[in-house]
Amino acid sequence: MGLQTRTRTRTTLIILVLQLNLSSGLDRQAAAGSPDGRVKLHETLAIVINRSNPIDNLAFKELRKIFLGERNHWPNGHRIAVAMLYYGQPERQTILRLVYRMQEDQYQDYLLKGMFRGEVFAAPKTLDSPLILRKFIFNAPGGIGYLRATDLDDSVKVVRIDGLLPQDKNYALQIDEEEPE
Amino acid sequence: MSALRSAPKAVAASCTKRALAMSLVLLTIPRFLDAQSRDVTATDQQTLQILLQRIDKLEASQKQLRERVAQLEKAPPGVAAPPSLLAPVETTTPVVPLAPAGLATATETSHTSADTPPVTQAQSQADMTEPEHMDASKTHLNIRGFGDFGLYGGNQKGQTTTFSIGQLNLFITSNLSEKFRFLTELVFEVHQDNDFEEDLERVLLEYSVNDYLTLSAGRYHTGIGYYNTAYHHTTWFQTTTERPYIFEYEDEGGILPIHNVGLVASGQVPSGRLGLHYLAEVGNGRTSSSVQAEPVQNYVDENSHKSANVGLFARPDAIPGLKVGFSAYRDVLFPLSGTKIGETILDGYAVLSRPSFEWLNEALMIRHTPMGQHIFDTPAFYSQVSERFGLYRPYLRYQYINASSHEPVFPQVGLRTGPSVGLRYDPTSSVALKLQYDYTELKRQAPIDGKSCVQLSMCAPSALALQVDYKF
Repeated sequence: MGLQTRTRTRTTLIILVLQLNLSSGLDRQAAAGSPDGRVKLHETLAIVINRSNPIDNLAFKELRKIFLGERNHWPNGHRIAVAMLYYGQPERQTILRLVYRMQEDQYQDYLLKGMFRGEVFAAPKTLDSPLILRKFIFNAPGGIGYLRATDLDDSVKVVRIDGLLPQDKNYALQIDEEEPE
Repeated sequence: MSALRSAPKAVAASCTKRALAMSLVLLTIPRFLDAQSRDVTATDQQTLQILLQRIDKLEASQKQLRERVAQLEKAPPGVAAPPSLLAPVETTTPVVPLAPAGLATATETSHTSADTPPVTQAQSQADMTEPEHMDASKTHLNIRGFGDFGLYGGNQKGQTTTFSIGQLNLFITSNLSEKFRFLTELVFEVHQDNDFEEDLERVLLEYSVNDYLTLSAGRYHTGIGYYNTAYHHTTWFQTTTERPYIFEYEDEGGILPIHNVGLVASGQVPSGRLGLHYLAEVGNGRTSSSVQAEPVQNYVDENSHKSANVGLFARPDAIPGLKVGFSAYRDVLFPLSGTKIGETILDGYAVLSRPSFEWLNEALMIRHTPMGQHIFDTPAFYSQVSERFGLYRPYLRYQYINASSHEPVFPQVGLRTGPSVGLRYDPTSSVALKLQYDYTELKRQAPIDGKSCVQLSMCAPSALALQVDYKF
């Protein structure tokens, strides 16, 4: 039993060392310029739409207009239905920061004002998890949302942003998740 | 017996060796990557992805190993382990293609396909095009509310200092289908008689054809200029305690046809970065046969003539927050005195509205043309500027209107001009405090004749207001 326990412990430690070492190696570039001495893990955020949507590429400005509610319809006639992840999730924070360029409060106020004035036809849907968001996009012909690359599957379609896919260099939507070094 | 007892140890030792060997291999890879760090290429990204997947596989192997060890530990002595438990550990995680298309293909994540119900695409599409069905247990009404409460006082003779309940506004919307929406503003308010009154200030059924055409039918706020359709019936969104005098509501002494009943078409104009939008309205227009009658013709029009209003505005991409536009409203009034009066209201505005800075400028010309008589032009404008400093937003507004004493529709207005200065304080995202002082120069004023004086600057040269606004 003692040997088995030690074996399990050793195996776990090896895995941990592997992961830490890899993380350190992979993110050394990202951490190099970090002034606060914290490691920044850079992951990309894919913009996803329904697979029936013929759109393959969106300019970042168009993407902003869609999320801001200034553009309400796809070229195929379907009304755009924006899906947002629940409050506080890093993906949502990234979209607020990079696309809306607002804080959470400002975003809420903007939406309410837009709905009140008739400038926003329908507010984004707030969904609890990437899984639910993926299902929503799968089901909604006009749906658009965002997912980490690791949350993608073939039920949704990834749109290029300014011609770039999430794994491409200089892709616009990078998640910044900070964790202690 | 001893061989069987040592089986778990043998498996564990074997797996440990495998893990160690793999770790040694993988340990060297990050070093190599680091050495190449100056030249990150797409190939590197792919390599990293593969490595991450291998870690996933290793974790899966470890999990399987733990499970097997646990099973072997539970097996009674002397009983041979099933062959499947002694078989080499294999992972089932597939290697993911890293080509761009791979992102849209089968990517193995923590959420497996088992998490997603096997619903056919056609069925799902059909589900989403269905309207939000009502059932007895839930509603699809989205309700937001706004309200205000204040303390008001002025130096007009006979005027008292008063606590006053403002408007309680329930803003209700419902998406009836992908393209239909219902919208209403249900407002509870109190007037001079201290009685509560409920008004459906807006009731609209909207159909969004595309970005270039949205059709609406019902009661709406006339698209005259900017202010009337920007703030509707809430003080929450406006910086000041009161609307500019020119945009005061009809039942509070206002002189514009603020509300109308009819049809509205609006949408974008293909104009690229200029961001042009249009607006066209046809409605019953305002009541003109009697000043005592309800000013909005909600149910019956007193004549078959319809009012028309068109507007055009631009929101250029180059200057975020800027909105520049104009509108032209036309109606014919039929007072009981007999002479038809042509009514034309021209409005131009330039507004810069950003979260931290606001500059509103709007000018109007109201022209009344009694048939065969003198033309009466009433100019009006307001300018308002404010800047936010943290939770505080000081503001300044100047407004002006100058109507002839012989103006056939609103002879009581005369000249009203003066500044308002105030401070808005937002302690939370849902409550705001406003303190405002108005000084108004009044000339050629006719008696108010029972009209309410909710907006004190209509009635008193100097007025002070302390207001609490909230949303819920």
